[in-house]
Amino acid sequence: MKRILRIRVNGRWREDAAADNTLLIDYLREQLGLTGTKQGCDGGECGACTVLVDGRPRLSCCTFAAAVEGRHVETIESQSQNGRLSPLQQAFHEKLGAQCGFCTPGMIMAAESLLRRNPNPGEAEIREALGGNLCRCTGYVKIIESVQAACPDRLEKTGEPA
Amino acid sequence: MQDLAILKPDSVAQAIALHGAGEGARYLAGGTDLVPNLRRNIQKAQRLIDVSGLAELCEIRAESQSLRIGAGVTLEALCESEAMRRHAPLLAQAAAQVAGATHRAAATVGGNLMQDTRCYFYNQSDWWRTANEYCMKCEGDTCRVAPKSDRCYACYSGDLAPALLVLGAEVDIAGPTGNRREPLAALFADDGMRHLKLAPGDLLLSVDVPPQSGWSAGYEKIRVRGAIDFPLAGIAVALRRDGDRIAELRVACTGVNSFPGLVPGLDALAGQAPDDVFFAALDKAVRKAIQPMESTLVAAGYRRRVAAALAKRLVERLCQAGGKSQSR
Amino acid sequence: MSTRPFKGVGERLPLVDGIEKVTGRAKYTADLFPADALVGKILRSPVPHAELIEVDASEARRLPGVVAVVTGEDCDVPYGILPIAQNEFPLARGKVRYFGEPVAAVAAVDEQTAERALKLIRLHVRELPIIENAAQARAPGAVLLHDNKAGNIEREVHNEFGNAAEGFAAAHLIREQTYHTAEVTHAQMEPHAAMASYDPSRDHLTLHTVSMVPYYVHLRVAQCLGLDTSRVRVIKPYVGGGFGSRVETLNFEIIVSLLARAAGGTVRMQLTREESILTHRGRPESDTRMKLGMTRDGRITACECEVVQRGGAYGGYGIITILYAGALINGLYDVPAVKYDGYRVYSNTPPCGAMRGHGTVNTRIAFESLMTSMAIELGLDPIEVRRRNLLPCPTETINGLRVESYGLPECLDKVEAASGWRERRGRMPKWKGLGMACSHFVSGSAKPVHFTGQPHATVVLKLDFDGGITILTGAADVGQGCTTIVAQVVVEVLGVDWRRVRVISNDSAVTPKDNGSYSSRVTFMVGNACLDAAQKLKQTLVEAAARRLEVAPERVECLGEAFQVAGDPSRSIGFGDATAEALVNTGTLHFKGTFTCPVEFQGGKHRGGAVGSTMGFSYAAQAVEVSVDPDTGRISVDKVWAALDCGFAINPLSVEGQVQGAVWMGMGQGLCEQTRYENGKHAAANFLDYAFPTIAESPPIDVFIVESIDPNGPFGAKEASEGPLSGFPAALADAVREATGLELHDFPLTPERIAEAMEAREREQRAAQRKTGKAAKQPATEGAA
Repeated sequence: MKRILRIRVNGRWREDAAADNTLLIDYLREQLGLTGTKQGCDGGECGACTVLVDGRPRLSCCTFAAAVEGRHVETIESQSQNGRLSPLQQAFHEKLGAQCGFCTPGMIMAAESLLRRNPNPGEAEIREALGGNLCRCTGYVKIIESVQAACPDRLEKTGEPA
Repeated sequence: MQDLAILKPDSVAQAIALHGAGEGARYLAGGTDLVPNLRRNIQKAQRLIDVSGLAELCEIRAESQSLRIGAGVTLEALCESEAMRRHAPLLAQAAAQVAGATHRAAATVGGNLMQDTRCYFYNQSDWWRTANEYCMKCEGDTCRVAPKSDRCYACYSGDLAPALLVLGAEVDIAGPTGNRREPLAALFADDGMRHLKLAPGDLLLSVDVPPQSGWSAGYEKIRVRGAIDFPLAGIAVALRRDGDRIAELRVACTGVNSFPGLVPGLDALAGQAPDDVFFAALDKAVRKAIQPMESTLVAAGYRRRVAAALAKRLVERLCQAGGKSQSR
Repeated sequence: MSTRPFKGVGERLPLVDGIEKVTGRAKYTADLFPADALVGKILRSPVPHAELIEVDASEARRLPGVVAVVTGEDCDVPYGILPIAQNEFPLARGKVRYFGEPVAAVAAVDEQTAERALKLIRLHVRELPIIENAAQARAPGAVLLHDNKAGNIEREVHNEFGNAAEGFAAAHLIREQTYHTAEVTHAQMEPHAAMASYDPSRDHLTLHTVSMVPYYVHLRVAQCLGLDTSRVRVIKPYVGGGFGSRVETLNFEIIVSLLARAAGGTVRMQLTREESILTHRGRPESDTRMKLGMTRDGRITACECEVVQRGGAYGGYGIITILYAGALINGLYDVPAVKYDGYRVYSNTPPCGAMRGHGTVNTRIAFESLMTSMAIELGLDPIEVRRRNLLPCPTETINGLRVESYGLPECLDKVEAASGWRERRGRMPKWKGLGMACSHFVSGSAKPVHFTGQPHATVVLKLDFDGGITILTGAADVGQGCTTIVAQVVVEVLGVDWRRVRVISNDSAVTPKDNGSYSSRVTFMVGNACLDAAQKLKQTLVEAAARRLEVAPERVECLGEAFQVAGDPSRSIGFGDATAEALVNTGTLHFKGTFTCPVEFQGGKHRGGAVGSTMGFSYAAQAVEVSVDPDTGRISVDKVWAALDCGFAINPLSVEGQVQGAVWMGMGQGLCEQTRYENGKHAAANFLDYAFPTIAESPPIDVFIVESIDPNGPFGAKEASEGPLSGFPAALADAVREATGLELHDFPLTPERIAEAMEAREREQRAAQRKTGKAAKQPATEGAA
């Protein structure tokens, strides 16, 4: 069964024809060409496909596109504005939070959702929030450092209180 | 992915009506359990009734006689709920141990309670299972864990159920024939294939947790890693102390049977002091209540041993903690 | 105009390709699939071992939407990484030897059609007994996987350097122990993917793939398709991790190429996580019998080591792996005599291969574990015992390995101090422990896998009218950061602005051949080649500037973005002008830099002596702190201190990242990772059952960089990414011993194993108590007890 999906993706409302059994990750990657979102496992085990739905993290490989109709989906592609990196992107870049880069989009999106709720998380809170996102390169040390490094910049930019 | 239609009801009544209006219907909420299973073709659906948008399922309400948790409440919301922290911290504690934060943002209370049972012969790709000539739970006729048995030994692995069981929770279920309320324990059966006693179209509405005055409770699970993993064994304990004695004790387990269950036979321990005799009896009762099978790659013997050890540890901790911190 | 040269090396620089990774703009292979490409899917063997009687694809071929079907009939050319051991076909022929081995493949208009087609292919097989482990493989009368390999032995290695018998005779303490290490796999985050386009009019094939060795893939794909290598083009896009999983040509790379040719078009192939894991090529399950002799003051007098590796169904890197396992017993300490017996065995499991720390890890676990046990038995401190066995430097080991830089002593000092070893070791609270171990690894195999007579590394720098410097390299960046390293080397030599430099890598139509990212060769070899090329470019520009400035070249000072007459800032020209002058009469300039390991570094003269040979070893020491949960046996790693001698840190940030990743991967192997097979079928080909650590339980890892400045490495640099791995499991076991009093020899140290060992000990203690209790009642039997 097909339907016209009305979804807000990265700030823009879209209307696309999609089969009901289309997973959100396939809709993003194949229909919209937003290939920043990665598929790293066979379903729900690695977190590489994490996107935001109405600001909360969501495994796009375990979500039907039709299930998020009318909602706001944000992907890694939305994180830089006019080519300027977001504080998290900047920190992951400068602190080597990304090595091979494959888990990075999901990792950044999960971290972004954390910082929107908790602009100045402690290390334990970062570990908690990223528990579902696997990385095979870094041993996670520099991922934690990256998230921590992003906090002050992000606060300055968004003016959210600590 | 199998071909299917997604239907979006506006109300519980409509959801139930839609469910009954055709073949192959299933309710869909967070999808973290169901969707991987659909992808692997181990669960089938032609029509998914998406109940995740139903506001009436998403409420947490502290009422005078109970705490009512909508089945559609996400585990994340459960962890963060002030009411939960105040009235049933055990649930927040158990919910926080489910999978990873991203899963918990989507996964719901109802979905967690009613998640499918698991087995390493079952949670495999279509190709793997074909090569293994399937198993009783899906498309085959033999239980690969216990080939001579006439039942399936897939393992129940939800983290919330044992916590709710020791709190004496009840569930509200709506169905084509009307609504009913029953103890949570009555929802489950010791059968890896049919571990939920639900009629077609039944929809879990909410979980009701009675007041826990004077009780303290805890949940602990053993898993290989610090996140993501299902419990190899999970134990919830609730107890009421009377001076140095344990006036009442409830223990429930997950990850060690095809259903989550209260450990029977603990009444005899009521009124006793937690001494060696007490713990020996507890150990015996827990071991008797559970029957982990080789449904995971971690040996059943270890899961049995550790379940008993966790029960003892939780009781000890709750006694040491003074029985106050987690009480309602 | 800047008058100060830019700094390139020794700086904590982010990756030059990092922006793409954090923005999602980096295109990995599967991100490049065109919508209209055919979908390729592989049919895999449903049995672990069988004669393949018939593969009947007739029905599948008739299915509408199916464009091509290929089977073992379509390629009778074997492949394999070692020219002397090619015994694998991209699609099985005659026999299938492991569960999941490819037997056929289809290309169809979409995924559903491809999947339906696979189900229509009928396999007729006659099943054979399954060889699940090395003991079964070596048992008398065992069924043979390969007819020409008696006893299912792919390779036996027997050698002795020094005189082991004499060494043991001189020892005060001799101990022997067998260590079992489970098979582990790379589990890189990006599942395997490839895309092949075949142009029938030109008979050209273009392959995009996830390889760490695009050059070897190029050769093997051409070989298997019978194509002249000039008509093949291999492109490696961004790659999501390797760790050795992609250091040889993999079956799907050839299969997708066969499909593209059969279909006459473009075929995309995305493997599932399950397929990616069972493509494997990981570290073999090993039994390592280690025997050491030690004097009472802790000097090692001799080592005897027997290694049995369950290698899987095909040769792969097997011969190299079993040679490495013996060769790198040396090179870390001064061991005067080593007798080594290695057996690489075939089994009906997916083929093993090279994985981070290739061949050396399981032997190192055994060696370090036994060394520490013996130190404790002798009442000596484990760090002190290591100090008593240090190598002189420079030196040549008994098996012909050259050591020209040796920072191990300083690594020990750093870890000892940082971990509070002296104050804390042996005094940890109950259920806590502190342990340590050392390790090392090569900075590139001094002899390449294929002998071609060509340099071991080649880099080209292109300088053109625009003044841009384009580094053309075939070195495969898979996340380890080698693209950044080559750029840093060029900037350091030339002192130019970073924005002037770009790196183009891994397109065989454009970039020079590179042997690939294996054995940690890139920083050392490609770094040196880059240095060579950059120096040539600089010389040309200096000469051009000298012509413009009308002075002798010796008087021209290179300031990076400018060239000036030495001591006279008023007489200078910019980089662009120097470039324009350099291009006069010649046009676009290419500067080729090369590097070759001199023959004296290429190992001993004995058979297999080249394996383990290198121009520089990295050295590592690490201390690990743990807590053990006595109720569940679960270990939590609380903290790690790791020191690495990488010669010189071209990029300290990157070195830290590599060390942390390596230590952490060693932690996975030590704690929880293992592939599993039940009745010959893989049972853990997903990220729930192949459980590598999450962020929740991964410890802080403090890194200490030791710079021994290797005389041959670029700016003194050596490798940084493999050496630190193999110390972890032994350090972990050492810490667990302090925490629990248990000495464990089976890895990983799962909660199950710890709990079992604790329970066994309790049983023994109870039995002993009963015995002594009885003995007390019956004093007459005391003597006998």
